Amino acid sequence: MIDQLKASAPGAVGAQATRKRGLRSLHGLAFTVPYLPFLITFGILPMVYALYLAVTDDTGGWVGVDNFTRTVRDYRFLPAFGHILLYTTMWLGSLVVLVVGLALLLHGRANRVTSVFRFLFYIPGALAGAASILVWLFMLDPAVSPGSFLLHLFDTDLFVESIAPGRLPFVFAMIAFWTGAGGWIVVMYGALNTIPDELEEAARIDGAGPVTVALRLKLPLIRKWIAYMTILAFATGTQLFVEPQLVNQASLGMVPDTWSSNQLAYQLAFRYGDFNGAAAISIDLIVIALIAAVLIVKRTGLFRTED
Amino acid sequence: MTLLRNSTSLRRLRRPALASLTVAGLVAIAACSGGGSADPKASQGSKELTVWVDSVRLPVAQAYVKEHPELKVNVVTYDGDGNGATTMQTKIQLWNRTGKGWPDVVFSQQANDPVWMAQKPFEFAAPLKGLIPDDVLSKWPATSTAQCSVGGTQYCVQDNLAQVVLWVNQKLMKQFGYQVPKTWQQWAELGQKVATEHPGYIIGNIGDSYGHWIYLWGNQCPLSQLQGDKLLINSTDAHCTRVATMLDPLIKNGSLPPLSVFTPDFAGKFGGAKDKVLMMPGPSWYAQAVFDQTLHIPPGRITAAPPLQWDTETPVTTGQVGGGPWIISRHSQNLTGAADFVTYATTVFNPTGKDARPGYPAYAPLADSWLKAMAANPYFAADPTPALKSAADQVWGGWNLVTYPDQPEWSNTVVTQLVAGKSLSSLLPPLGDSLAKAAQAAGYTVNRQ
Repeated sequence: MIDQLKASAPGAVGAQATRKRGLRSLHGLAFTVPYLPFLITFGILPMVYALYLAVTDDTGGWVGVDNFTRTVRDYRFLPAFGHILLYTTMWLGSLVVLVVGLALLLHGRANRVTSVFRFLFYIPGALAGAASILVWLFMLDPAVSPGSFLLHLFDTDLFVESIAPGRLPFVFAMIAFWTGAGGWIVVMYGALNTIPDELEEAARIDGAGPVTVALRLKLPLIRKWIAYMTILAFATGTQLFVEPQLVNQASLGMVPDTWSSNQLAYQLAFRYGDFNGAAAISIDLIVIALIAAVLIVKRTGLFRTED
Repeated sequence: MTLLRNSTSLRRLRRPALASLTVAGLVAIAACSGGGSADPKASQGSKELTVWVDSVRLPVAQAYVKEHPELKVNVVTYDGDGNGATTMQTKIQLWNRTGKGWPDVVFSQQANDPVWMAQKPFEFAAPLKGLIPDDVLSKWPATSTAQCSVGGTQYCVQDNLAQVVLWVNQKLMKQFGYQVPKTWQQWAELGQKVATEHPGYIIGNIGDSYGHWIYLWGNQCPLSQLQGDKLLINSTDAHCTRVATMLDPLIKNGSLPPLSVFTPDFAGKFGGAKDKVLMMPGPSWYAQAVFDQTLHIPPGRITAAPPLQWDTETPVTTGQVGGGPWIISRHSQNLTGAADFVTYATTVFNPTGKDARPGYPAYAPLADSWLKAMAANPYFAADPTPALKSAADQVWGGWNLVTYPDQPEWSNTVVTQLVAGKSLSSLLPPLGDSLAKAAQAAGYTVNRQ
């Protein structure tokens, strides 16, 4: 059909290009329309409402940035964002390095081996979010953990020691990696599959070994996929909530209930009835995620198209 | 490939979706405006009753349903627990925002819950005066009524009293030739003796989220004392430091481990056939709930001794762990029904045998019959009821209940550090700081000394 249209407009090249682009966006719209109502109801409207709450007080009066300065001064604000910074750094670092590394390794293997490993990596991710954290609650308790010998290696004889304050960012990053990395390894593997065989062959003929092929050829070609993963992982990382919340309850309060910034927002809203302060923290998180996303998009040319 | 990718991105979406629950919830409730200040209009005609209870109180609700087939009673169970869990606060905030959905009666395991429920921004609890007759209300101990009152108005009745006593393993004490201690000093001395003569045996534990209620509340450490419109939090008061100085060597020598009694570890190390609990200061409900059902200590060993005295100081005061209250909603459309339910739960319901109430009933006439049954209970080595009864009104009144939970502060700043090997004495100042911050965040003006 496109070809027909193209053929029927042989004259002006510029006009053709415009129409082509218009048609393409029409097609795109058809695919995105079913998602739009959900995006608006559960994404955009709540964001707008949060923005409204963040700049007003509980009577609806305009207060400007008051909610923001007030929450920043809260004694739990900086520790919570500090925890998140540490956690996100660990989780993103391990995600990017290990996921890409494992995917590259997998891609170099024979097909049967690869599919077995792909399956193994994906299994933990098949557990629903909260359930996988419950699994970890048992894994971290030396009294019941099948890996207790490993915990003892780290001088840990009690559950309370497993979740000692200094270890928490590491523990949460480990849980997140375990539940989330498998899926991404499969995605990266898929991305590697889009690299034409001819390219690889040409590189080999030029004398490139497997390491050079992986690092010099494959890695740059899946750069955009890595950027995509980083943006999504950054957003989920900064919004950490379920892990610390469940560990808080399971440890009978040994872990603060305002460990992460999202938890602090939750506590502000429901313990103190301060929905405006909670909204301000949510906006902080959106802004941080947006800035990070823009930086990554600019740096990697994620949305740059070839033509 | 496409399929895999989709499911992967769906999985990634799940967490942010959960995380932005707050925001999503806000949209849903944005449609219903002006919920905050519902007025307590009570129509007495309603035959419906909604009751929120924890799993321990479920039998009460079920018994009430059975006795009142003409009523439509909705029983909802929820975790109802402490440690700062915000289940009930979240619910009430949402009900207040939507202006509907409140239950008629709520049970909470947290003795301090009525304090925030009675005040802004929650304003959930109904004053009990006029709902339950005065002559019934007057039969709760004065200390219990005081805990249920905010600004002179009573908002709850306690289901049970949770006075701390000294639980003693009589068989072991006889075997070791020890005397049951009467004072904290004698108790600590025994701790030193046990550590050298019978290492591995314990005289208590300090790893629970409520350890401060056992050791600091009872010894009059002012960590939660209302003085007019100010709240006194002085963790370096002599009443606190002298306790810490006494406990530190015991924590170090292993006779007072910083472990929680509710961990599998604890039961494995000290419970069951090992039978290594020599003594344990703990609340009245420890009776069978902890020694029998959690630690599986065989029958014929445990009994209760009166709360420990500090040297020769009088009067003897003790701490409290729990003492869950019943609260009636001020939004209830069936206040009479709600009051009837609460009256039944606290003054009538008292099964015997294995269905017996786990805690010491707060309503005095009911306590008498409960104590009688307990005195005859063959699980105990000797009648524990005189000690329990004498401790019932010894709970120190200088520890006031406040709107914020203090357990998380104790757990985060003290318990985690005790486990890491720090001394309790060195942790008292940070405990005070963290309590003061929590109090200020909750709107209190804090006085530090």
